[in-house]
Amino acid sequence: MATDIQTKNAGKRAATTKLITTAVGSYAKPDYLTKARAEFSQGKISLEDLRELEKKATQYWIEVQERVGLDVLVHGEMERGDMVAYFSGEQGGNAIKGMRLGGLVRSYGNRYYHKPIIGGKLEWPGPMTVEMWEYAQTLTDRPVKGMLTGAYTMVEWSFDEHYPSRRDAVMDMAKVIRREVEELVKAGAYYIQIDEPAIHTRPEDDFQLAIEAMHATVDGIDAEFHTHICYGEVEKVYTEMIKLPVKQIHLAFKNTDFAYLDLIDQYGYPEDKDLGVGVTDIHTRFIEELDDVKDGLRRTLKRLPPERLWILPDCGLKTRTVEESEQKLKVMVDAVRDIKAEMGIA
Amino acid sequence: MQTTVVGHYPKIPNRPAPARYRNAINKRDRGDISNEELAQVADEVTIEVIQQQVDAGIDIVSDGQIRWDDDQTYVPRRLGGIQIGGLQRYMDTNTYYREPEVTGEITWAEPVLARDWEFAQKNSTRPVKAILPGPFTLAALSVDKHYGSLEKLALAYADALRNEVDALVAAGCKHIQANDPAIVKRKGDVAAFSAAITRLFDGVSGAETGLYTWFGDVNGILPQLLDLPVDVIGLDFAAGKGNWDALKGASFGKTLGFGFVDGRNVRMETPGEVADAVKRIAALVPEDRLRVNPSCGLEYVPRETAFEKLKIMVQGARKAEGVPA
Repeated sequence: MATDIQTKNAGKRAATTKLITTAVGSYAKPDYLTKARAEFSQGKISLEDLRELEKKATQYWIEVQERVGLDVLVHGEMERGDMVAYFSGEQGGNAIKGMRLGGLVRSYGNRYYHKPIIGGKLEWPGPMTVEMWEYAQTLTDRPVKGMLTGAYTMVEWSFDEHYPSRRDAVMDMAKVIRREVEELVKAGAYYIQIDEPAIHTRPEDDFQLAIEAMHATVDGIDAEFHTHICYGEVEKVYTEMIKLPVKQIHLAFKNTDFAYLDLIDQYGYPEDKDLGVGVTDIHTRFIEELDDVKDGLRRTLKRLPPERLWILPDCGLKTRTVEESEQKLKVMVDAVRDIKAEMGIA
Repeated sequence: MQTTVVGHYPKIPNRPAPARYRNAINKRDRGDISNEELAQVADEVTIEVIQQQVDAGIDIVSDGQIRWDDDQTYVPRRLGGIQIGGLQRYMDTNTYYREPEVTGEITWAEPVLARDWEFAQKNSTRPVKAILPGPFTLAALSVDKHYGSLEKLALAYADALRNEVDALVAAGCKHIQANDPAIVKRKGDVAAFSAAITRLFDGVSGAETGLYTWFGDVNGILPQLLDLPVDVIGLDFAAGKGNWDALKGASFGKTLGFGFVDGRNVRMETPGEVADAVKRIAALVPEDRLRVNPSCGLEYVPRETAFEKLKIMVQGARKAEGVPA
């Protein structure tokens, strides 16, 4: 694939090198934006009006993250409803060629989503995430992560009417996502997160395919790649998962009361990787006690040094309220500050 | 050759049609309507999805499992010894179920499914089959903090569910089906599986009993399945291509639920494709012991797709019958 970006990446870096704090990706949409999204889907307001409000909400979340004191920010995904459907044309998004939005399918309880359909050959349609990333980065001096969904998850959470095999679909999708990565790097992103929450759907059949797809997405591009892997049977895939060609894997430690530390004890963690540690549970409303978060940090620091740890909530915060989200970020940053003071590090 | 379904049916239609059941749950959660009012909506939506199956030409329908949150918890919620835990991915799908946690001896108090079946049958012009969560899959997808072995837990679930079977038979239900798919991923546990299904159905008279699997094949364990006290065995030929191999050379003495139309993908089969597949399977199992159904429940696709798939499936089955084999 032709690429003109194998030059050195000059994007913004975190101002600290130890226990870097960041977030996973999504935040709750303010009420005015939820209302505007509904109005847009009913044709009552224009895409421009919607985009204005998305930017207003993005600005809000950038301010919150600066106020709380995160080192590396996320833009909050105000323009996205679902991490896969966004790339198939949800809410005025730029749809990947060959993809379209399907009908409503239930995922659990009373939650439904428009499951995308792959109906033709997958091709990059032009930038899908760059405008919002650039906007968010203009609002802050701190680095903002580029945010993408990995090829395996994109295909796994879509219907496929077109490709003869999952492999064919995933590898074509990897080309599309790689092209978007290149655009983000050109725009100046240094940290790029490629989420693969579906990666352990079928571990015995095609985990290698997910790894191969990540290689095809990132190899040879000068950026720091992270991936977020959600709750699921991480223990079944751990030894393969740590081979993913990214600088950082982050996992939901808090939700399992740091049981993943046992996996690190048993199987190790690669020397060339950083570990992203989820320290606040995003599925609960209550805010963790400061001492509780510090305890989690101390337990993790017994395994890995502070320069190899990034500290995050367990997952995206979009299911928590605006207030709960800010409090959960704050207790995390406070805990990191206290631990750094204890350790005498900056 | 009869047509049927495997289990669930999408609870809501696409926009702009109103999502009545979804909206009713939201209203109940906000406290705007009572649980009784929600149950009333569930009844009305049940009638609606039975009618859709009848309109598509299905001979033996289900109640669409509208009241079920997932394939696992509808009955266990009402059993003793069980708490309902957090969300887990259901097999290799992007749907999630709440994980039952077995903390004590499983006890059964009163019928759960007989009332649902009676209501559905009263509102259907076609026979309604009752669906049970299979005891083996329940055990495999639960956290066991009490029994200490998969087989013991599966048998405990089977004992509880046998009460449901007996209540359904007493209510007059003629088609009782256990959906027990997890065995296709755990073939090494076929002895425990067989013990549980035997406990569930052995000696039942007055109703036809069925056992359905999906998302894989039973190649290698079909002989054990054919020994079980069930009248119908349902297999998934969309995700389980190995079922073709399993059937070759098998002496299939039961009725086969032929799951050819893919319940997990929106790609539409054609009546011709269905007819060809039916003729192919009829070379292995005689037509009078064939039942044509989708590969699995239909909640994995949108409502409109589910309806269209059933219509095409029925057209394909009729087309196959019209052509001499």
